[in-house]
Amino acid sequence: MKIIADSSRCEGHAQCNIADPDLFPLNEDGYTAITDAGMQVPPDEERQAQQGVSACPVAALRLID
Amino acid sequence: MAAGAQIIDDLLRPDVNADPHQALARLRELDSIHWSEPHRAWLATRYNDISEAYRNRALSSDRVRPLLAMSKDENEQSAATTRVRELLSQWMVVSDPPQHTRLRRLAAGAFKQQRIVDMNQRIQQLVDDLLDRFIAEGHTDLIEHLAYPLPAIVIAEMLGAPQEDRDRFRHWSDELALVAFGAGGDAREERHERALRGMEEMVAFFRELIELRRREPGDDMLTAMMAGDGSGDELTEDELVAMCALLLFAGHETTTNSIANGIVALLQHPDQLALLREEPDLISSAVEELLRFDGPIKVINRWVTQDTELAGQQIRAGERVYLVLSAANRDSAKFTDPDALDLRRSPNPHIAFGKGIHACLGAQLARLETRIAIGSVVRRLPGLRLAGELSYKESLAARALRRLPVAHDAQPTHR
Repeated sequence: MKIIADSSRCEGHAQCNIADPDLFPLNEDGYTAITDAGMQVPPDEERQAQQGVSACPVAALRLID
Repeated sequence: MAAGAQIIDDLLRPDVNADPHQALARLRELDSIHWSEPHRAWLATRYNDISEAYRNRALSSDRVRPLLAMSKDENEQSAATTRVRELLSQWMVVSDPPQHTRLRRLAAGAFKQQRIVDMNQRIQQLVDDLLDRFIAEGHTDLIEHLAYPLPAIVIAEMLGAPQEDRDRFRHWSDELALVAFGAGGDAREERHERALRGMEEMVAFFRELIELRRREPGDDMLTAMMAGDGSGDELTEDELVAMCALLLFAGHETTTNSIANGIVALLQHPDQLALLREEPDLISSAVEELLRFDGPIKVINRWVTQDTELAGQQIRAGERVYLVLSAANRDSAKFTDPDALDLRRSPNPHIAFGKGIHACLGAQLARLETRIAIGSVVRRLPGLRLAGELSYKESLAARALRRLPVAHDAQPTHR
């Protein structure tokens, strides 16, 4: 599972980071630091990944298998 | 200038403090970055300007250390004020990168979603107990008997405080609130003296709790914070104490106000209350809208450390900027029909929890408590209605009721 972030949609609400700071790192401005390569999700952390993705108020995140 | 005559920029004027939205709408419309003489600060009221301000590096959160340094030089402050400021100055909320980055990284693990989600049943149980008593004993103030005690007990439990100490938490956060949010002037000395006694008790308590967790690690947030982030870097004991104090303070009155303000908004919009009664599963979306409509924090403070510009307005180092979140959350440039309470509103990118690197770390916990409290009140108190005047505390930062007097038709009975 991988997290994909649309940085053009990201508004810096940081709600993903609050759900899980390791899966959803932020840059110094408080916007997503997930690059185009995406963020690999360790197998036992899929639930946290889902929680973080659904926390985004502007739907800038999604999961792919 | 004609436009200037219509602008009211003293947010503490009693009528504005009681109902800020009209004054804020005028500011937002007519002078979006407005110098307020009464506050000696720039008032930013538009959503997009505030969003930009949150990532403007010339706007600093480091607003206690300068006070500490200043008065130490002038030898003006009392011992009490110094001690109080020393504790507060360690809070990540008043720090900039890199100090802020480190403190936040070491604390953030303790707030991971799963820990919050695991509190669901326990918070429901606490709310049920509080409402049982509220109904059985015929009380009327939903702040005193629900919104105020709940968050303090929750954070006490999450920090792993022993059962018998949890009540003390409520009062400590009051002391902190007095110093952190209180107005200035001569009253400040006195307030600091009073607060210091409560704070010393609280600091001693947390030091003991830290000692206990060194010997007996638990499943709690404090143990999690003491474990560090795996990099070898750890919070010092002073930093841990300061962090515990911040979590208590930051999560108490704000959550009380999100619960209380949310209930009031529902009572003032009976059609929306009816909707929520009919469709309890709307609670998550409802709480987002209630936070947008009348959230617990009106204003967030920033110090300007370098000359900069906001929406074309020159801002000078040494000045202050007030990010008026409650104005941003009613900005028609961002929200359709912003003054309407619409529990189904979606998307809802409100900034009641702020944005960026300082965005509220406790947001998920606040949401959980607010959903459970408001959901339970709506479910268990049929015929809920306001039963008294609403009086707001005089505060720039907080949207805070003194009391929430209600009447209802629930009978004391086994739930």
